[in-house]
Amino acid sequence: MAGLTSLPTRLRRLKRSCAQRAPALIGIGLFCLAWQLIGSYRLAGLTWPPLSVVIGYLVDPDHHRLLTRAASTTLRAVALGYLIGAGIGLFLALAVRLFRPARAGIDTFVALIHVTPAIALAPVFMILMHRDAIPVAICALAVTYLIYVAATSGLDGAKRHHIDLFAVMGARPWQRFWLLERPTALPAIASGLKLAIPVAFMGTIVGEWFGAARGLGLLMVSGMQNFQIPMLWAAVLLTTLTSLVLYALMGLVERAVERRFA
Amino acid sequence: MPDIPQTECREAIALRAAGKAFALDDGGSVVALDGIDISIREGEFVAILGPSGCGKSTVLRLVAGLETATSGTVHIEGRAPAELAAHHRLGVAFQDHALLPWLSVSDNVALPFRVARKPVARDTIARLIALVGLSGFENARPSQLSGGMRQRASIARALALDPDVLLLDEPFGALDAVTRRHMNIELQRIWSARTLTTVLVTHSVEEALFLADRIIVMTGRPGRVLRDVAVPFARPRTPEALRTAQFHAMVDDLTRALEPQG
Amino acid sequence: MNRLVPFLSRYWAVLLLVVVWHAWVTLGDLNSIVLPAPLPVLADVVTHPALYLTNAAQTMATALAGVAIGVLLGAFVAILAWASRLLAGLLTPLGLIFSSVPIVALIPILARVLGYDISTVVAIVAVSAFFPTFVFTGAGLRDLPRATDDLFKVLGATPWGRLRHLVLPATVPNVMISLRLTVPEGVLAAILAEFLMGRSGLGFMFREAASRFAMERALGTSLVVTLAAVLFFTLAHRAERAVKARWS
Ligand SMILES: Nc1ncnc2c1ncn2[C@@H]1O[C@H](COP(=O)(O)OP(=O)(O)OP(=O)(O)O)[C@@H](O)[C@H]1O
Ligand SMILES: [Mg+2]
Repeated sequence: MAGLTSLPTRLRRLKRSCAQRAPALIGIGLFCLAWQLIGSYRLAGLTWPPLSVVIGYLVDPDHHRLLTRAASTTLRAVALGYLIGAGIGLFLALAVRLFRPARAGIDTFVALIHVTPAIALAPVFMILMHRDAIPVAICALAVTYLIYVAATSGLDGAKRHHIDLFAVMGARPWQRFWLLERPTALPAIASGLKLAIPVAFMGTIVGEWFGAARGLGLLMVSGMQNFQIPMLWAAVLLTTLTSLVLYALMGLVERAVERRFA
Repeated sequence: MPDIPQTECREAIALRAAGKAFALDDGGSVVALDGIDISIREGEFVAILGPSGCGKSTVLRLVAGLETATSGTVHIEGRAPAELAAHHRLGVAFQDHALLPWLSVSDNVALPFRVARKPVARDTIARLIALVGLSGFENARPSQLSGGMRQRASIARALALDPDVLLLDEPFGALDAVTRRHMNIELQRIWSARTLTTVLVTHSVEEALFLADRIIVMTGRPGRVLRDVAVPFARPRTPEALRTAQFHAMVDDLTRALEPQG
Repeated sequence: MNRLVPFLSRYWAVLLLVVVWHAWVTLGDLNSIVLPAPLPVLADVVTHPALYLTNAAQTMATALAGVAIGVLLGAFVAILAWASRLLAGLLTPLGLIFSSVPIVALIPILARVLGYDISTVVAIVAVSAFFPTFVFTGAGLRDLPRATDDLFKVLGATPWGRLRHLVLPATVPNVMISLRLTVPEGVLAAILAEFLMGRSGLGFMFREAASRFAMERALGTSLVVTLAAVLFFTLAHRAERAVKARWS
């Protein structure tokens, strides 16, 4: 029935969405302009390069080898940590769903991990694993928290009247889980997966600062320490943009799941 | 009235001195039901009338096995209600439609089959959807339906497995008078095709008189049975039966019984 | 006994971690450069109270100052955005973008631009608290119950009256929630800033100990950092609940 919207309706919608986005685009435009002007007039000193210089650094083929090497290292760590963290978070949420008495203890434990600044765990990881694995581990830990919280609250989210319905239908516990709690939890898990993207980048970069051999985080630190200003800004911009793009993509997934299950 | 002598009929639902007190958060408790005695024969259609908050839904939830009586006993066919539910022989439509938002109308109606792990009888589902007047909306999601359409879908779901006991909590609450009348006629037709033990909670005296063999009037705080009235009209009842003097006399009588005692 | 059971059910996983750690070190017969046991770590903290306390005090003070500045500024800008459509349109997307990127990546830039200084640490923490607060509080203000806004219009309230009697009171609980949400990241930002560029504070202590493989000191710092973070978080949580109880 849906899907066949008329052309005028579509045009009207397009106009409205443009009108809604215009201030946002202007805001972002002004931000970039301010960045450029502060840089070219040296308003914030020599350590603030104009946007054009940073972009110039990023597009300069001379730097591509360095940047792709760092970016691919970081992205690989992010991806691995994200997957491991999401896996552990989901596993823990399912485990405490199956065995409820364990719930309070795991809740406290996971909350403690969340509140503990990621870097405080670094010495432990330094002992346990190779230093190239530390970014992955810190990333995974940070992601675990978010996914665990999203999944447990999602699994708790089944409405009272739906639970009653399943009781009256004589559903077994696993049927209630599969047919009711799982679909109810999916939107919450999807939005957890979206929010976990910047968190994964954060964990990875912190891990890299703690002593990885390469990666965008390392570029940042060495740029900072050695006054390689364009490289520092380029590494930060690249990290931020990558995270933002992935975040937006996960936002689309979240929307699709939301539309399907809520 | 069915012309079977009462003595030969087996008792389907029995509440004996059933009481229900809810514990409150502040440590106190409210007595929702007190000393309820209700006996419903197999195949009988009983309507429960009463002012809001008098405990009608609580009676229904006791019979559905969703609550346990804090005093007295509740039995269906001599056994605990939960046993009937475990055998997938209860049908229920709640005050709130309780459709799963991520399933289409036909999948919602098919849900009891899946829970009972029976092959989904597509023709039965199509017939039920037609019965409640939702043909053409099989693939619509609950969010695309009106409030009344959702309630009709939930009635179709209640009937899916051809239950032994049907529990309806104000299933027509969101319907306009005309649709409601139409649904009443349909429900009577279903009921004449296969007499199934039915408990209907309603606010409408006319609806109770049109559909039920017997009407139980309750008073609140704590909930008690005030009156137990047999409905004398022969079946099948036609809309014309609603215009007889006897019908009007009974409406007046019951409406007076519902008014708060001054 | 009947207090022990709830305690265990809440803390068994944390206790298990300590037990496993201890068992692993003793059974694995590791030397203390690799991994010290829980007790020597605790002993290092207890026998150097001044060192740990001064550094912890400094870190907590900078984190607190930064979070406070960031949250207050965030709430202030959110109110400005509430007052002006234009400002809201311009700032909200930027706020959304900045609150959904890994903000710690900005630490090296801020360190370079503002200089290696303790006020830079405060600024870094403030930035990390500012954006989430702005977004969260702003969303709360846009979500005011419609009826109350209408009521104020019907009562003929001036914009200033609406700000005083409607918007400011509505902001307070949201500010408290933002505080709770931003405290962990604020503490992390403070420690990271100290770690990267500081000359004192827990983050610096940490880098110094790790670089000379003084594992007792490093883990002791981890322990103090964790305690400080938990303390902050608990206080913020308590404050949020107290305010919520009075506000509703
Ligand atoms: N879970 C519960 N906890 C505490 N009190 C409850 C609970 N469920 C019902 N009650 C109380 O029991 C009484 C009866 O409630 P019930 O829902 O059965 O009324 P009702 O007759 O169905 O009303 P309505 O016609 O408005 O649906 C009410 O006073 C209500 O406050
Ligand atoms: Mg009710």
